[in-house]
Amino acid sequence: MREKSGDRGSFRAALLLSACLGMSPATAQEMTTSLIGIHQGSPLSDRARDLGNGGYELQGGNWVSFNQWYHATWVDTHVDLLTQLTENTGILWGFGTGEQGEKYSVAPSLKIGFLTQTHPNPNSTLSFSLTSTIGGGLTEKPCMADYGDLGTYSVNCRLAAGEMAPEETLKYLVNAKPESMHLWLNYRVTF
Amino acid sequence: MSRSTRPEIRDRPSWFLFDWSENMSASRWKFGIATALVVLSAPIASAQDALDADEAAALCHGGGSICMSATIPTVTATQAVQNWMTPDVGAAWAAGYKGKGVTITIVDDFSSSSRFSGNFGVGVQYQRHGEWTRQEASMIAPLATIRSKDFTTGSAVALATGLNVLNLSYGMYAKAGYSSNQIGWAPEEASIISYATKGSAVVSKAAGNDAVAVGGVTGGQQDYLDLALIGKASAIFVGALSTNGTTTNKAQLASYSNYAGSNPLVQSHFLVVGVTGSKTGLYGTSFAAPIISGYAAIIGSKFTKATATQITNDLLNTARTDTLVNYNAATYGKGEASLSRALAPVAIK
Repeated sequence: MREKSGDRGSFRAALLLSACLGMSPATAQEMTTSLIGIHQGSPLSDRARDLGNGGYELQGGNWVSFNQWYHATWVDTHVDLLTQLTENTGILWGFGTGEQGEKYSVAPSLKIGFLTQTHPNPNSTLSFSLTSTIGGGLTEKPCMADYGDLGTYSVNCRLAAGEMAPEETLKYLVNAKPESMHLWLNYRVTF
Repeated sequence: MSRSTRPEIRDRPSWFLFDWSENMSASRWKFGIATALVVLSAPIASAQDALDADEAAALCHGGGSICMSATIPTVTATQAVQNWMTPDVGAAWAAGYKGKGVTITIVDDFSSSSRFSGNFGVGVQYQRHGEWTRQEASMIAPLATIRSKDFTTGSAVALATGLNVLNLSYGMYAKAGYSSNQIGWAPEEASIISYATKGSAVVSKAAGNDAVAVGGVTGGQQDYLDLALIGKASAIFVGALSTNGTTTNKAQLASYSNYAGSNPLVQSHFLVVGVTGSKTGLYGTSFAAPIISGYAAIIGSKFTKATATQITNDLLNTARTDTLVNYNAATYGKGEASLSRALAPVAIK
């Protein structure tokens, strides 16, 4: 779901980009910077949320819900900007705030890239952009599980009640990076 | 040597566990004491589930009368969760850990001519008592290493590297009235008692099918192996419920099953599990003990550094009482074993 909304965000940004680059040369020469999008959430933010599904019983029967560990009060928010360099080129940049739950974090991110466009004929525009994201990784944190006589272990919170050895569960901590490069190509014909 | 007077023993292989001339000292033995080895299945008794203790005990050992011939399927590690198992077992398998690295030694009958039929969900089979208990344990913990130790040999039980679980679905009966330390145990039982005392192996002992308290007298006889294991660090007595319990459909003790009784040392080491003979055709605490053996193996495959005593205590301390009809410690001991809770943390943060 989030992937789709991301596509929609990119498309919206593309339209805005095209509009920005269509401004007059005089405006472009002033190095105008335009806000082209603000959106909350990301694929990794959604993935963290998915980790909150489920739970298990402790030895005494109390239910532990994962949701308490994978819930954030502030959702990763992304701001995308375009600084126009010439009539047909610009720098794309932006940042993400990141988010933090009790047992995970999505790191803040920076986005940088460029946009260029050409006009194969008066009625059409071919646009190309390439952006790179730095940071923004999802890191899951371990829990400390007390197994009574059997000891206390650092474990993957979600797998602590399974039959996997406590130390083995740490191999399954999520440590994911966001899409590092994004290539975008658009051809537009005006009738 | 004296032969047990229990009628059920006459028709079963009986083994007298010591040689009077070699093992009995005159000062120690005023009376001759012989223990007879009795398997603890109840193939017919529980099907009727209303027999008195003596009838149940007798039927425990007459399983051959209802046997029928069948092909014996091979038990593999890829088998499915069966309907006689608790849902806990399926959940426990979900991550693929099924007792790997743990050795379960089944001390049982693997050589007699006595066979009986049943069905653990893989087709009707016709097997010896030990073959049944071995199969059951291997189905609960299919990746555990399973060893078979024929109890007629009397030789000491050897332990494997790593965690060991011993399954004892038999009793050692003799005339009542002696203490267990008066028994001249064969190396086999002596080694088992020693392991339970030192916590060298989890010892899962079928509680018995006489509907008396563990260690109680029935027909003038007592199970001295029960008596010898009372108060031992890593011994668990296992009684049978007639079904697997849930909070909405609570289970009760099977009519034939021995219960914990008033001894706190028994109560604190007594568990119950469902023996759903209505689905398998197999009744008796003989088929309760292998479930605990399998659970111990699964727990041992998770806590690879845990000692046998720690795993024993984990099983005992996490037993449920809210799945049992009118729970009381004298009947159910610590309660119904819960694999999922035994695998779960006490607390997590």
